[in-house]
Amino acid sequence: MTKMRSDRLKIVFMLCLAFITIGGQHFESKVAQLLRDETEDIKCFVEVKDLTCFWEEEEERNNLHDQYTFTYSYENKNKMACVVSSLSLLGSNKTVFFCKLPKTPFFTPLDVQVFRDGRVLYSRSLNAENFWFLDPPRNLTVMTSGKEGQLNVSWLPPLLKYIDDSLIYEVRYAVEGSNMGKVEVIKVSTMLVLLGLQPYTRYKVWVRVKPDGVAYKGYWSAWTEPVLGVTQPSGTCFLMLLETKNLFLLKKLWPDIPSPEHKFPGLFTIYKGDFKEWMSQNNGSMWGRSVHVYTEELPSPLEVLSEVSLTSHGTSQREERQAVEEDKEKESERSDSGLTDRWQEPPEAYCLVEQLRALQENPESLSQSLLLQSHDTYVTLNQNSQGDDERQVDDVFEETLPLQMLFTTAGRMSLNTSHSDLGSLQQSSGSGRLSSQSSFEYPNHTWPPKGPGYAYMAVADSGVSMDYSPMSSSRIAALGRHRMYTNDYKNEIFLHKWPLSGQHTQSGSESCMGPGW
Amino acid sequence: MFHGSGLFALLLMVLEWTRPGLSSPLRPICDLRVLNHFIKEAWDAEAAMRACQDACNIATNFTAPLTRVDFDDWEAMNIEEQAQEVQSGLHVLNEAISSLQASNQTDVLQSHIDASISNIASIRQVLRSLSIPEYVPPTSGGEDKEMQKVSSISELFQVHINFLRGKVHLLLANAPVCHQGVS
Repeated sequence: MTKMRSDRLKIVFMLCLAFITIGGQHFESKVAQLLRDETEDIKCFVEVKDLTCFWEEEEERNNLHDQYTFTYSYENKNKMACVVSSLSLLGSNKTVFFCKLPKTPFFTPLDVQVFRDGRVLYSRSLNAENFWFLDPPRNLTVMTSGKEGQLNVSWLPPLLKYIDDSLIYEVRYAVEGSNMGKVEVIKVSTMLVLLGLQPYTRYKVWVRVKPDGVAYKGYWSAWTEPVLGVTQPSGTCFLMLLETKNLFLLKKLWPDIPSPEHKFPGLFTIYKGDFKEWMSQNNGSMWGRSVHVYTEELPSPLEVLSEVSLTSHGTSQREERQAVEEDKEKESERSDSGLTDRWQEPPEAYCLVEQLRALQENPESLSQSLLLQSHDTYVTLNQNSQGDDERQVDDVFEETLPLQMLFTTAGRMSLNTSHSDLGSLQQSSGSGRLSSQSSFEYPNHTWPPKGPGYAYMAVADSGVSMDYSPMSSSRIAALGRHRMYTNDYKNEIFLHKWPLSGQHTQSGSESCMGPGW
Repeated sequence: MFHGSGLFALLLMVLEWTRPGLSSPLRPICDLRVLNHFIKEAWDAEAAMRACQDACNIATNFTAPLTRVDFDDWEAMNIEEQAQEVQSGLHVLNEAISSLQASNQTDVLQSHIDASISNIASIRQVLRSLSIPEYVPPTSGGEDKEMQKVSSISELFQVHINFLRGKVHLLLANAPVCHQGVS
């Protein structure tokens, strides 16, 4: 019994080996598929140039292939015999008998018959050119297109000389992990551009082939193995990243040099920088003129909050930040580098996700990262007031102060510190617009810190809130000693808080100070 | 003087028009979609004739070309041999189908018959555009290409579609004119 089983296993093994040798690597799968799908008793297909016909029988002890005879005939000629081979299907109690015609006649009716013990078991009439069963296409390639929402798909056709002009292909694609896919049919061509895809998404792509049904007919081939492709990010996000990077470099190379001149008309041109003299000449008229001069320049104080320790801050900070976030939602037109329109568009969620992901993966590159927004003239405020070892020596940021500042605009984050604090990023979200010109005054130590780890500074637009309020001469002198950088700073965040410059003038300095804006 | 120049122009026009023995060369029609169109119409005709059955069963024999193709044997033939096989087959088919025009068929079947005759003529034009040698009838005593006998209209149109899909399609798809400069 053991010897019989061993012999049988050897036979099965040898048959399987012969099976693989006779057919190609896809032969067995084709047989299996036709066993499932084809209803004819004699199932036939053409792989390359030869027709193979097979039938299925229950496995019996005496069911040897010698009992079967396969014949074929055409054009009223005599029948010709074909050598029958057999193999056992794995996992099945059935045996497949098959015959591969040595010389297949095409484009003529072919009569095939199976005999067992001299009697006709099965018969069929067919045209061989109608039963192509091709191998899947080769070398499937999926490349990212240069355009948004597109993928370039290409492949090689089956290696057949006469039939390659008569093929159609089906391209199936789906988001990776999804069961929902789409199918595109293409004739003859072996490349296709998939359109209308989701940006920055991984797709799986399959291809299969069959004759077009005109000169040749046949079955669909098996699908190729899937190939993955990733679409590009959307143009808005991509261009923003690109523009950000470019403008960051531009800022690095050609930083904006703030000039206070326009806030002090005639100070430098007429009075040669003599502020005292300028004040004495313009004191009375400035009061009356301030309304007219600055109606179009609404003072917009900027509140700078430290993000060193968010958890230790009280509700006041959260309220302020919340107020900032609410205000930042109000955006207005600005004339700058043309990014205005783009900035007005709400960012794609995934764009932000990708930026955050980049931050997480490479936080030390933040100072050179793409997150720096062109319109944010950010201020590097070091945590330590002096001798900060992490201070980035940069000509642009000479006006550094011992605080770290975070701007958040339109849902994107800009962070110009090597201390990547994603917690602060997540908490500080909102929209806001900052022009590339910022007007700052840094009266050092003017505002005492509110609490441990918290440094608060009110940066007000020069001229209105502080400059034209009654000031003592000593204060004026103190201001004069400090560097003043009067880039035009129009922070629309606080726009609504300063409806009229006149009111602002009257409110004086106290309206610029304090966290309660 | 005016009459002289006018006559001269007219003479030139007449000579150009009646230029004997010279036909303007046809642009090669290499696009297989042209033939595929004729093949699709041949499919329709074959399906219609197959459904006809008894009504189309005319007790007569048709001489029809052989349609069998062995790819290795076909590849071993030169272009002239292939052309002769196709041209003779088209000639014989045309004669067989044309003989049906005189028979009393339904309008639908008659339209298929007329379309098939017209398409065979168009295919000959396509072959001419590809510089495929024309059909040369066998000389007396010479052997014609092997033919077959069919006894029904349905079988005749099966031969028709198989011939177009096989030999004609192979000849056009591999016409030398259409593959010049391609390695």
